[in-house]
Amino acid sequence: MSQAQVAAHSVALDGEITFRRNPLIDVAVLATTFVVWAFLIFPAVWIFLGSFKTTETMFAATTFSFTLDNYQTIFRAGFGRFIFNSLFICLIAVVISTFVSVIASYVFSRKRFRGKRIIFGSVILGQLFPWIILVTPLFIMFARIGLLNSYVGMILSYVAISIPFSVYLLVGYLETVPRELDEAAVMDGCSQFQIVWTIIFPIMLPGIVATATYAFLLMWTEFLFALAFLTKTSLKTMPLGLAQFFGEQTVDWGAIMAASAVTTLPALILFLPLQTKLSGGLAAGSVKG
Amino acid sequence: MGERMFVPLMLAPIFFFLIFFYGYPTLFNFYNSLTDLSLLGLKQGGAFIGLRNYVELLSSKDFYRVLWNTLFWLTAVSVALRIVLGLLLALLLNSATLRHYRLTTASRLVLLVPWATPPIVAVVVWRWLLDGRQGVINKALEGLGLIDTPIAFLANVDTIWPALITIIAWNTLPLVTLTFLAGLQSVPPELHEAAEMDGANAINRFFHVTLPHLMPTVVVMTLLLIFWTFNNFVYIWLATGAGPGLFTNVLATEIYIKGFIDFELGFSSAVGMVMAAMMAVFGILYFRFVALREFREIL
Repeated sequence: MSQAQVAAHSVALDGEITFRRNPLIDVAVLATTFVVWAFLIFPAVWIFLGSFKTTETMFAATTFSFTLDNYQTIFRAGFGRFIFNSLFICLIAVVISTFVSVIASYVFSRKRFRGKRIIFGSVILGQLFPWIILVTPLFIMFARIGLLNSYVGMILSYVAISIPFSVYLLVGYLETVPRELDEAAVMDGCSQFQIVWTIIFPIMLPGIVATATYAFLLMWTEFLFALAFLTKTSLKTMPLGLAQFFGEQTVDWGAIMAASAVTTLPALILFLPLQTKLSGGLAAGSVKG
Repeated sequence: MGERMFVPLMLAPIFFFLIFFYGYPTLFNFYNSLTDLSLLGLKQGGAFIGLRNYVELLSSKDFYRVLWNTLFWLTAVSVALRIVLGLLLALLLNSATLRHYRLTTASRLVLLVPWATPPIVAVVVWRWLLDGRQGVINKALEGLGLIDTPIAFLANVDTIWPALITIIAWNTLPLVTLTFLAGLQSVPPELHEAAEMDGANAINRFFHVTLPHLMPTVVVMTLLLIFWTFNNFVYIWLATGAGPGLFTNVLATEIYIKGFIDFELGFSSAVGMVMAAMMAVFGILYFRFVALREFREIL
């Protein structure tokens, strides 16, 4: 359903029901809404506030003394390096993962071949594969071929875990691209490779961007593989860097809040354009069946 | 390049990842589960001990507590709670009142905040809010005179699961809500109008018009939440470290503890295979009832 149609429906429903709205119910609904808002926003607001608070006022609800010390603390502790590692690993992994997923999705969506059901099924079922099970065998394999504590090992792992959901999203997206387009190109004598590069890639671009954003966020916040495969401080990613501020005895809450803020902000900015696509896509896909 | 090679070439990269990161590791894991491999003896490998790891696992009482924690607390309670709350929130956001005051879009933006928060950050901030000595929530409860002494929410056995589920719900409820909201907005208004003409009240309309239309979305969301939660490691590990003691230990943390803290990789692999087998049951349901339908045209 297009945005315009949705809007039209809302207006129709609204107009139809408005004249019978009970003011008491209105107040109750609004009150509930604001309580829910508070529950949802409060913790995140406290991260950003806390990151600018001094240790003495950290837990005080009423007093607030502003400081940038927490940010200085984390960057002195090498957080800049963690940001670089995260960006480097995630960006390269996103490019590879998206490329692999796009070309595979095209074939899954448009071609008939033997074994398709099994191969496509395996990829889709990868979504529900418990990554924790992969950690031990991959750790042993990586230890034997020297991929522990390496960018390559992390990049390959992140590509592997993001492929299933990427393919799921991209195949869904390709179903909305009319088949006549590539059939017409075949008529014009384009080779299949040309079709993918010159027709499918440009048309799929919005879907590819959404998928890549999703994959990036998945990797950006990944903790388990990083925890198992990266022990050298110089290679650690942001989630690991954040966790290390939890000391054995003392917890530096200010530093943790600053690190949390730095980790969350890019995610929040990337999420803004993505959210309608992802939630709408999950609903549309399931309603179709 | 031959056109005949098109399909194999396009699928070669994904094959590589399927085989080297899913297929082979799973088989390797199965093999390791039949050995007494230790993290300290990776070079020489483990000795073959048959099904001894499985026997030991299935005959230990601890395993059944881990299973109960995983299936009941971590998965069943938290998924059911999120489905119900997600449905209620979606109805709230879609209500005539919120649309009248133009608050639906603002609410969507508010929902974005917890959703965009990385799980690790969600755990961190809630640990801070729930802190047993100086946490804001304890201070607020004390201020209101509801409690005399602070509660260590993430250490007290009575509050620890509700606290963990609150963290998980805060972080993941938005996706559930927004998905249901998209589903609600796709209910054809004619259906509601027709039901109203027949004299159905709001509650009747919900159960006979809205809910049936939303049911496929609810089923998909429930299955996805089950996978994501059952498999999840981060929330429990970072919030409680499976403690106090092993009180909140679940399958995912058990695998990590056995393998990387106790160094018993063979045993840890056996736990992993049991977990994979349980997930396979959900996988078959998912494939049969969701994936096959959704991708009917191309399969």
